[in-house]
Amino acid sequence: MAYKRISFEVENKIAYIGFGYNCDKSMTTLDEETLGELRDIIEELHTKQKELSGAIFFTHKDRCFIAGADINLIAAMKTEADGAYGAEQGQSIFNRLEDLKIPTVACIHGVCLGGGTEFSLACKTILMSDDKGTIMGLPEVKLGLIPGFGGTYRMPKKIGLPNALDLILSGKTVNARKGKRLGLAAAVYPKERLKAMAPEHFKGEEKKQSFSESLGNLAADNFLAKKIIFQKAREGVLKMTKGFYQAPLKILDVMEAGMMKGRTSYLASEAEAFGELCVSEQSKNLQHIFFMTEKVKKYSGKKGEGKVPRFERGACLGAGTMGGGIAWLMASNNMAPIMKDLTPAALELGLKQSSSNFMGAVKRNKMTFEEFEKKQRSIACQLDYRGFKKADLLVEAVVENMDIKKKVFAEAENYVREDAVLTSNTSSLSVQEMSTALQRPERFAGLHFFNPVHKMPLVEIITHDKVAPETVEALYNWVLKAKKTPVVVKDGPGFLVNRILMPYMNEAGFLLEEGVAMKDIEDACLNFGMPMGPCRLLDEVGIDVGEKVAKIIYVGLGERAKSSNVSHMLVEKGLLGRKTDKGFYLYDEKGKVTGVNDEAMAILPKPTKKMSETEIQMRIFLPMINEASTVLADGIVTTAEEVDLGLIFGIGFPPFRGGLLRYADTEGLDNLIAALDKFAASVDKDRYGASEFMRKLASEKKKFYEFNV
Amino acid sequence: MSLRPVYIVEAVRTPQAKAGMDLKDVAAPYLGAYLVRHILDNTDIPNDGVDEVIFGNTGTPAKYPNIGRVIALEAGLHKKTSGYSVHRNCASGLEAVSQAYLKIASGRSDVIVAGGVESMSQMPLIYGKEMTELFVKVMKAKSVGEKLKALSAFRPPFLSPVVAIEQGLTDPFCGLNMGQTAELLARELGISREEQDIYANNSHHKAVAAMEAGRFNDEIVALAIGGKLQKLLSTDVGPRANSTVEGLAKMKPYFEKRSGTVTVGNSCPITDGGSALLFVSEEALKKYNLTPVARMVDYHFHGLEPERMGMGPLHAMDGVLRRTDLTLDKMDLVEINEAFAAQIIAVRKGLTDRSVADKFGIETLWGEIPDEKLNVNGGAIALGHPVGSTGSRLVVTLLHELKRRKAGYGIASLCIGGGQGGACIIENLVK
Repeated sequence: MAYKRISFEVENKIAYIGFGYNCDKSMTTLDEETLGELRDIIEELHTKQKELSGAIFFTHKDRCFIAGADINLIAAMKTEADGAYGAEQGQSIFNRLEDLKIPTVACIHGVCLGGGTEFSLACKTILMSDDKGTIMGLPEVKLGLIPGFGGTYRMPKKIGLPNALDLILSGKTVNARKGKRLGLAAAVYPKERLKAMAPEHFKGEEKKQSFSESLGNLAADNFLAKKIIFQKAREGVLKMTKGFYQAPLKILDVMEAGMMKGRTSYLASEAEAFGELCVSEQSKNLQHIFFMTEKVKKYSGKKGEGKVPRFERGACLGAGTMGGGIAWLMASNNMAPIMKDLTPAALELGLKQSSSNFMGAVKRNKMTFEEFEKKQRSIACQLDYRGFKKADLLVEAVVENMDIKKKVFAEAENYVREDAVLTSNTSSLSVQEMSTALQRPERFAGLHFFNPVHKMPLVEIITHDKVAPETVEALYNWVLKAKKTPVVVKDGPGFLVNRILMPYMNEAGFLLEEGVAMKDIEDACLNFGMPMGPCRLLDEVGIDVGEKVAKIIYVGLGERAKSSNVSHMLVEKGLLGRKTDKGFYLYDEKGKVTGVNDEAMAILPKPTKKMSETEIQMRIFLPMINEASTVLADGIVTTAEEVDLGLIFGIGFPPFRGGLLRYADTEGLDNLIAALDKFAASVDKDRYGASEFMRKLASEKKKFYEFNV
Repeated sequence: MSLRPVYIVEAVRTPQAKAGMDLKDVAAPYLGAYLVRHILDNTDIPNDGVDEVIFGNTGTPAKYPNIGRVIALEAGLHKKTSGYSVHRNCASGLEAVSQAYLKIASGRSDVIVAGGVESMSQMPLIYGKEMTELFVKVMKAKSVGEKLKALSAFRPPFLSPVVAIEQGLTDPFCGLNMGQTAELLARELGISREEQDIYANNSHHKAVAAMEAGRFNDEIVALAIGGKLQKLLSTDVGPRANSTVEGLAKMKPYFEKRSGTVTVGNSCPITDGGSALLFVSEEALKKYNLTPVARMVDYHFHGLEPERMGMGPLHAMDGVLRRTDLTLDKMDLVEINEAFAAQIIAVRKGLTDRSVADKFGIETLWGEIPDEKLNVNGGAIALGHPVGSTGSRLVVTLLHELKRRKAGYGIASLCIGGGQGGACIIENLVK
């Protein structure tokens, strides 16, 4: 019989089964049709077993084996029973694959994740290509799921319990080298030789264990040892996730309870867990983020008629922490940047930042020292504009001062090519106004990186009246290429992220003034899932910087954005945060918190007011939601998704909540407005006055996510 | 065959630092690659517009057998760019420059980057012959027993290493160390210790004055250094402001401990550094809208007795002046590499003293080089001598000083271990 999605051929008594057949998408997924055909093919193999010496599974694609189960299938599941049934369907196919008497070899080239890896595990042998794009793994946990096609059952059998737990609980992927070392892959070959080498593995693997391996297995392979392994894993998960995430704990439950179970009953419990998780709020939120990030991978903004520039070489004006970080990003992306500043000492600061980013990767074995040397040396350090005409992209990161920035751009424009794109890494100044300094403002935009550049995924691309769509599209593409997440925002005080973040720190200040203890405020935010409490965050940003930005936003937005006097009091005493080793907290020379700063506590009002955690959270997050609604009203961004993406990748808003506005939608706009009204009456009418926009949405019975421009 | 004019558009170098000092961690290719990138960045030449990259290097690192090609790739030039390395001992950089000149003059090429690099810090220690043979035997051995048997031949003295630098600085033909060839000239031509120390002292003070006046700023491109590449080096490490003749006089002769006159103080130190120049044809000038800084007029290499290699510049300058129908007094500046003070004093004698000229078979007495024209910004005694680079480094420094003075011709020359001399003449075009 002929198949449409999977090729099937028998040659010299060997069955060759190819995925990604007749498929014009770059990634092959296990969608309904493919799964159906796979089922039929495996049944056909069962009937032909006698005439076959083996079956070889390969891919027709250049970059993908199987990227996983079709996530749309999962997203469509409405009930736990739906989910469990879906998992059982896959499990039964893979069981039939496992039960084949003939040798089965999966030749993995390209991306092989989730369902793809679970499929491979049901084959007797896995071979991997040595291509650097070849990866395997079970990333389901990142979507709040458990691998549901037998992955948690077969992975420990293949690579041992400790390694399997590590892979499944972290969702991390392994390359061919690591795959071989773990015993996941029997052998690694160049991609051109994979298929030809597969029959050599029909005899099965006589895995030679080293002495230490067999010792390790002996130790791990008894009930008590397994108990301890599970306990350690659970502790690790709780530490990593602070208990916010249910999927890894569920996975541990299934795997631990399943230790003594046979295949059928184990897989039943795996399917059941899958069903539970896949319809959970948390998983839906994480899937929502997955879809959002997939969506932003393609520029969907306004297109121009002209050619969209591509950036091959970069230049960076200003070599401070940000400048050095941006130079690092450019150097890592082979853009051989030119970094310019006014003094050699300033250039060394930038070099130091870049070096420390690279050295982190060297220490984690993500990069060799030789690669580091090549890339770090590709940064040209200069005091003049020599070579700037070779730059396609210029990022300015000099001091946050409008006059200086304008002067710098007016000057720099004389040294760059006409088709070069110029950007400012300003975090607070008006890009609109800055654009007036340029003769050709159409190739200028804001490009706001978050500090530290190497850790923060978000980049705000800030537009203005005269910017050309080609400029925005080019920047968008480049940010993606540099493995960051772009969000296009209109100019306005604080742009997107800082504007919504400002109430986070402002309200903390007011709460402190009201006499709420700092620890209570910080804990309430941490328990909400924020990566840092507002005071700790202010220390990180620099309390003086925070004060300055707050002022700019206040000038731009008016009374609702006013701030307390707390920052000012600390700045006056020279307590500026981490950079001065003291702010709300004390820091050691490595920048680690050593404790609360009593000096700061002495300045703050005595903590006299006990407030419930929920009330603190409402006091802090309600104004943020309110501000986010004005962001939409002002057209800074046009969708709730962009707001949520920005906050998740810009400030680490807890992913399991799906985003600030998604959280707001689940709480219900009516409820939020009622709460705001209450605080407007009891606390402050400006700060808690619900926006017109939000009231209008509520009156139309709409959610933020249903808002369309 | 008629030759085309050859232009120099860019000329830059690294800061130079004594071996084991600031540049010790910088592998040789990295002393050149960033210079090439910098040069290309200053022009409109695209990265596939360079025909050839030629680099001089003597202590070829085992990891980079063809350093010229490595530099071309590290500099981000197109992969189709041809690259090779040349070796003519102390004049390797000048050899690279000369080949660039010939290839462009003959019409073969239009755009060439040529220069030299040397990391003397990273020159290896080598196992002696016995140890090397032992390794070979052990590797050939098939069984453990055979391996043990082979290993049993080991004796601790096998481990004493051969210092590659020391071997490289000893002439394989006459057996003299380079310092000893300088001693020979000092003896034969009656050059006193004091003369040498005064010369050396001047070199330091001229170099320090040049540094303080920022006269090297245009030619040096700052280089990232240190184990984590967090620091920038933008000045030479070597010239001593506190140098005195008295201080130099206190140093012991190094090569002939008792009766000698050549000391570490009046010789050049072993050094790390690199230099690079952009050579183009008339066509390339037009095509890429380039402004030439200088024209390379011609060059000459000449051999002599290895034990008197220090006199190489006398022969080489004689040769290039005769070839170009120019005279020494037409040269506004003269750069002669200061391998040893004794050797450079000897060369000056050969230009003015009939008997010395006769001894070396030189017909023309080319005449005195006035102090105000010779190595005006100091020389290798202060700045150091990164062997593979110095030949091109001299041209870089000469070119920038000619330009600053809006002068005309300049000549660069150096003696070459093994008994040769090299020289080239350039003409400044920025007036």
